[in-house]
Amino acid sequence: MVLIGLERNSLRVTNGSNIHSIFNTLNLQRLFLKDTALTLIDRIMSFNKISRLLGFAVLIGLILDVLMIFAWSPTDSSMGWVQKIMYIHVPSAWTSFLSITVAFLFSLLYLWKRREQFDIIALSAVEIGVIFCGLALITGSIWARPTWNTYWTWDARLTTTLILFLIFSGYLLLRRFSEPGDQQARLSAVVAIIGFLDIPLIHLSVVWWRTLHQPSTVFSPKQNVIDDQILVTLIFSVSVFSILFLFLLLNRVELERRNRLYMKTVMTVDE
Amino acid sequence: MVRDIWTVVIKDLKLDIRRAENFFSMLFFSVTILLIFAFALPQKQSTQVDILSGVFWIVFLLSGLLSLNKTFQQEKENGCIEALLVSPVNRGAIFLGKMLGTVVFILIVQILVIPVFGILFHHSVIENFSWFLLMSLLAALGFGSLGTLLAGLTSDIRFREILLPLLLFPLIIPLLLACVRITQSLLAGEGILGAGDWLRLLVGFDAIFMIVSFLVFEFVMEL
Repeated sequence: MVLIGLERNSLRVTNGSNIHSIFNTLNLQRLFLKDTALTLIDRIMSFNKISRLLGFAVLIGLILDVLMIFAWSPTDSSMGWVQKIMYIHVPSAWTSFLSITVAFLFSLLYLWKRREQFDIIALSAVEIGVIFCGLALITGSIWARPTWNTYWTWDARLTTTLILFLIFSGYLLLRRFSEPGDQQARLSAVVAIIGFLDIPLIHLSVVWWRTLHQPSTVFSPKQNVIDDQILVTLIFSVSVFSILFLFLLLNRVELERRNRLYMKTVMTVDE
Repeated sequence: MVRDIWTVVIKDLKLDIRRAENFFSMLFFSVTILLIFAFALPQKQSTQVDILSGVFWIVFLLSGLLSLNKTFQQEKENGCIEALLVSPVNRGAIFLGKMLGTVVFILIVQILVIPVFGILFHHSVIENFSWFLLMSLLAALGFGSLGTLLAGLTSDIRFREILLPLLLFPLIIPLLLACVRITQSLLAGEGILGAGDWLRLLVGFDAIFMIVSFLVFEFVMEL
């Protein structure tokens, strides 16, 4: 029973051509075809197609983004060229918060529905989130050196981002130190949930602790604080990074699915 | 439910009394860290007042970590955790029992550590003994909630000794900041309401994570 359960479970996470050939050689394709619904979706819109479409969009978007940043948007009068790094810094921070939110939602979904798919999405989202969190910290430091004359200040938003980075690095370590399976998925989901719920408290406490960052300019009620062209470029940059996030997420999820399927197949064959 | 919680608390405290080594190791660990701070930091009385609350809470966190490490480790030893989980007690009660056991244990150690702290560092600590104990209680509630949850979570995992502080310390930064600030205002003679916002944050933190940990604990402890 356990063995059959395992096989069926692994079949649910199947698609992609390499996997087909593995299954053919193992003569397991008979079982594979049982999941007709997924096979049907595969035929209409394969993973490769969506991925290629998104990848193409990201490529075009990034090229346009670079052109807009360096050729179209005006250079800041007080900060000069340095300010251009904002178009990478802000979208990176945005993408990291977006991925952490996605990870939180799918962790909740996993605890509720217990489908492996949700666990894979949560893991992939956290990995991407940690990378972009790191990018936001690095670009923030580079930006802080000429403008605040220091690489690091204990400013509220920077500190919150750093703590976020630490919490979700802990999440990834937890993944690394435990064996894949339901227990690992449950435990990491719990960490993602309490980590996410802690963010508002951390931010509040750090704001009270000290603050130096320029107040959030984009969402401030005062109009015309920043130039329209700068705003448009920034919004475009954020959108491109969001599509990049989707592209990375999709590919990471697919990679993890194939990896887990491979491990399960090897295990099944061993038995 | 209350009786179940009580049973778990009493069971844990009985175990702690019978194996006094847990208690004494935590006590001597706290004193040792205090000594290290006393040697490592400047000797002037004026600077010692400024760093007092920071040192106190670092000692609290590090020794508290020891008591968290033991909560599930001694259950693991003879497979007691399975027995606890199959017993007709719901997971929430087990969690609250474990958490309260940890809080009581931390407080007993603090009762002894606070005077030592006062002797080694500054007399104002002993004058404010009851305030320090109250602050330890408030801190222990939040620390114990998240700590018990994470100790249970890491109990099955390799390198749990390193993973527990790695996960726990970033999460309790609001608690640490609030405690340090309130203690500073206590030592400055402004009373506990001198840092009213921080007190509210601390109580809110305790409440939120007690409830959240209570709710998610059943997912951590599945057989």
